[in-house]
Amino acid sequence: MKNRILIIAIPLMFFNSILAFAQQDRDSVLINLEKAGWEYEVKAGCNIGGIIPLGMPQEIRSINSYSPRLNGSFEGVVTHWFFKDKKWGASTGLRIEAKGMHASATVKNYSTEIITDGNRVAGYWTGDVNTKYSGTFLTLPFLVDYRFNKRWIINAGVYVSYMLEGNFSGDVSNGYLRQGTPVGEKLEFKDGKTATYDFDSDLRRFEWGPEIGVSWKAFNRFKLNADLAYGFDHIFKKSFKTITFNLYPVYLNVGFGYIF
Amino acid sequence: MKLLRLGLISFCICIMMASCIKDEAPNAEADITSCKIPSKALIRDPVITNDKVILYVNDSVDITKQAPEFTLTEGASILPASGTTRDFSSPQTYTVTSQDGKWKKSYQVEYVFNEMLTVYHFENVKMYNDIDYDTGKTKDFFQIFCDTLQGNEMEWGDGNSGFMIINSDAAATDYPTCQSDSGYVGKCAKLTTRSTGSLGAMFNAPIAAGNLFIGTFEINLTNTAKSTHFGVPFYSTPKELVGYYKYKAGSVFTDSKMNVVTGKKDNFDIYAVFYEVTDDVQYLDGTNSLTSSNIVSIARLTDKMETNQWTRFAIPFQMNNGKSIDQNKLKSGKYNLAIIMSSSIDGANFNGAVGSTLYVDEMQLFYE
Repeated sequence: MKNRILIIAIPLMFFNSILAFAQQDRDSVLINLEKAGWEYEVKAGCNIGGIIPLGMPQEIRSINSYSPRLNGSFEGVVTHWFFKDKKWGASTGLRIEAKGMHASATVKNYSTEIITDGNRVAGYWTGDVNTKYSGTFLTLPFLVDYRFNKRWIINAGVYVSYMLEGNFSGDVSNGYLRQGTPVGEKLEFKDGKTATYDFDSDLRRFEWGPEIGVSWKAFNRFKLNADLAYGFDHIFKKSFKTITFNLYPVYLNVGFGYIF
Repeated sequence: MKLLRLGLISFCICIMMASCIKDEAPNAEADITSCKIPSKALIRDPVITNDKVILYVNDSVDITKQAPEFTLTEGASILPASGTTRDFSSPQTYTVTSQDGKWKKSYQVEYVFNEMLTVYHFENVKMYNDIDYDTGKTKDFFQIFCDTLQGNEMEWGDGNSGFMIINSDAAATDYPTCQSDSGYVGKCAKLTTRSTGSLGAMFNAPIAAGNLFIGTFEINLTNTAKSTHFGVPFYSTPKELVGYYKYKAGSVFTDSKMNVVTGKKDNFDIYAVFYEVTDDVQYLDGTNSLTSSNIVSIARLTDKMETNQWTRFAIPFQMNNGKSIDQNKLKSGKYNLAIIMSSSIDGANFNGAVGSTLYVDEMQLFYE
């Protein structure tokens, strides 16, 4: 809950400061910093994507629905532009962001566990699976920027994220579980019978991977941004063996930025 | 907005490239889905569980030369092959291998033609074992009561395999149905109403009453009371059920939602039902074992008390109104008999008190 408050509070603080700045004439300090190649930007955006297996595992027979959810992000970025022409730059910043998705799929012989309070039923599921994933991350990007012209900038680099809170849960229905192994007792779930699963505590805290992006300056101080971040690590801890294939977070962040 | 659209499109393309649905994997399951023998020989539909096939046949069948035919999970294979002639004087083992070749399952196939046992000492149990999910090794989970008399074997049914699903780490003696050393003579059956924890509650089955019955158990999650299949063929007229019991009710009575019902005391149940088998009613289950119109006679213990002394009971069978026993049907195996015991009388509906314990020993069914 504390994290939730933080998530709301930090962006609000950002916006307040943006408004405060915008109302004043630009500080001479800022102008001098800009001359020295320093640029400050605040960004707000939305993460669209999902946690996807690298190549569809054989267990998944069809994807029935997918919703990326509305995942907000807020970021403060510092860029230093090098040399006189200021074509090359380097940036870093701090981003607080949400990632999530809802997906439903039909699977065959999909290894899973139904868990509550330490009791569990493990086995192989054939039928429908609904998955809900959401996480709140504190992210540090390290990027190299290249400016094509006044309007277009591309960048590439890596990002490192720490998950503040995360949730991976869902339910199974309309199928059957083979208990333990594919030849174990058959537990049929039909006529609306469902069971839930919850792997929150098995999610990995750290995430990292490459990030590439493009920006388009719409006005003097206003930018549109699109950044694609791809997580190199499986979203679950190494010790977690229940889901037999790896899932990687792939998110496109689209939004706008304001340069001071 | 153009940029946004471009971004979205390229992202979707990415996803699609990485995520084409692959060809379906070969099946990993290895089930016997049906079993066929000449239909004249059978007096019941074949009973097929996850590791057993029971064929109730009339006594004119030469069980030393039988060639049952099986249908299997698509792509699976069976050894010895379906249709192989074998001697079923004792149960025969078949091994089914899955289509992908990675999984094997053994089935015991049994022909039953003689009268069920009618004297029960509860001295013998065998262990139910299966592969343990954590270690991959075979592990003993719970006890199954079985009685043998002159090569005639009978296995009691119970709900332990349902309890195992959600409490796979429990010791055999912590299951709802197990053996106890403190019998009236030797060992006895001990039925205990157990809590199934939060996982059980999620399955809308917060308690598991200890039960022991003649029949088979096949878990039905949609309607758990239908998991118990009561009865086996019986060729005589049952007269009386006699035995010994001890009972202690649990202290807190709860309903199916785990709400405490104050002032209500748990009670046990011991009864036997004799019923006619028809095409649509091959067996009775927890929903109709006392109410089915196929029931001919019932013997149910009514004079019950909480006691820590072994107490004898003798319950005569009473004919249901307007019912009679057709001797021809009786001879041709058209009637079933079931004995049913539970540590909580309404345990099938998950009403009861955790801790209620029923001990039963030295039971006998009298018939003529």
